[in-house]
Amino acid sequence: MLPSGWGITTAVLLAIVSFPVSLILTRFFMQVNGKRGIVGIDVHKLNKPRIPEMCGASIPITLILLSAAYVLIGGGNSLMMLAFSLVVGSAAVVGVLDDRLKMRGIYKPLLTLLCGLPIVALGLLYPNQVYNPTLQVPIFGAFHLPVIYPLSIPVAISVTSNTTNMLDPLNGTMAGGVSIISAALLIGVLIKDPAPSSVFLYAALLFAALGFFYFNRYPSRAFAGNVGQLSVGAALGALAILSRSEIASIVAMFPNIQNSFFFLSKIKRFTEHRALTAKPTKLLDDGRLASSSDPKAPLTLVRTLLVGRPAKESEIVSTIFALYLISGTLALITMILIG
Amino acid sequence: MKKLNQRAIALQLIVFVTQWGLMILGFGILALLVAPLRLQLDPSLGRYFDAGVKAMIALILSTSWLYIWDRQVRLYFYRKREGTAEPV
Repeated sequence: MLPSGWGITTAVLLAIVSFPVSLILTRFFMQVNGKRGIVGIDVHKLNKPRIPEMCGASIPITLILLSAAYVLIGGGNSLMMLAFSLVVGSAAVVGVLDDRLKMRGIYKPLLTLLCGLPIVALGLLYPNQVYNPTLQVPIFGAFHLPVIYPLSIPVAISVTSNTTNMLDPLNGTMAGGVSIISAALLIGVLIKDPAPSSVFLYAALLFAALGFFYFNRYPSRAFAGNVGQLSVGAALGALAILSRSEIASIVAMFPNIQNSFFFLSKIKRFTEHRALTAKPTKLLDDGRLASSSDPKAPLTLVRTLLVGRPAKESEIVSTIFALYLISGTLALITMILIG
Repeated sequence: MKKLNQRAIALQLIVFVTQWGLMILGFGILALLVAPLRLQLDPSLGRYFDAGVKAMIALILSTSWLYIWDRQVRLYFYRKREGTAEPV
């Protein structure tokens, strides 16, 4: 049963504002970055259009602005909002550095480890007010992890941010996928434990991602860049910890986990897609994508979906969204099982 | 509505549901068997030793979980194309 009350209503109404804010900011970055030559080539199109990059900066900016506004109107847990904003902001800074400096693949996971430190530090300063080291498990109850839990927070933020970064090879996959994940977890939070701050942050992430998705959907007019991908992934990781939806978040991110695991298991090192000699997919003369026949190419999710069946980019994007709907549904069931 | 790769979605559904079930089972093992373990030998460092052992068990379980995931995807998607997918 959905909760009632002003706390939740205010949280959702303010979160909806993140849609137009993200939309306007994305439009702004499209114009500014396009003029400054901050563009990327859409390699999966035959005419190779040049698309403004780093427009995903609109999402972390929207999230931080709205979180501050939520605290100012007295609606949110200020510690939770501060921890969330610091994580998202620091991941965005790492993303900007990577976008501008083109760092080696190993630096991103290392630097994003640091992005989880604000939650750990605030948790140590204010015990049990930022995170709770008791992990809630579906069906089997819960177990207390006083040492392992805080130590795993930086790893969790690094994993979620980098795995989100890795699954944005086609138009709109990251923004659309994160929208589906956020929607599923938002429904779960509303059913299970409607804490206004958690509801606000999941709803804000959903609408901010949708605002960006409007321009990023197939055919893309804006690319997220590492700034958008890393900060959105860090937001998911931070929310998993702050709203105590750790296991459900893992389930919701199954498509990301599969993509990253098969990439790393094949390549056996942290590297950038641009540095790969054997690409996982190839563009056919008719504009469709096909799985690579190179045995050295990584088995990414997109390649797996293309095995033996070349397809248009839009079809693959829709198939990936269907996978997110499956994982989102399983995440929702997980939250219900946790109770 | 764009045309979906229904075969791939069906196979991925099997993979996801299997991994989901195994993950819940794994967390059940951690909650019921591993978390209550008390192995403290040295009182000063015992807490950290306990945590280290439990983390190691969790690591072994998660590696096994990922291995099963790997096998499933190779079986369902790459069985007839072994040349394109060498085992990890």
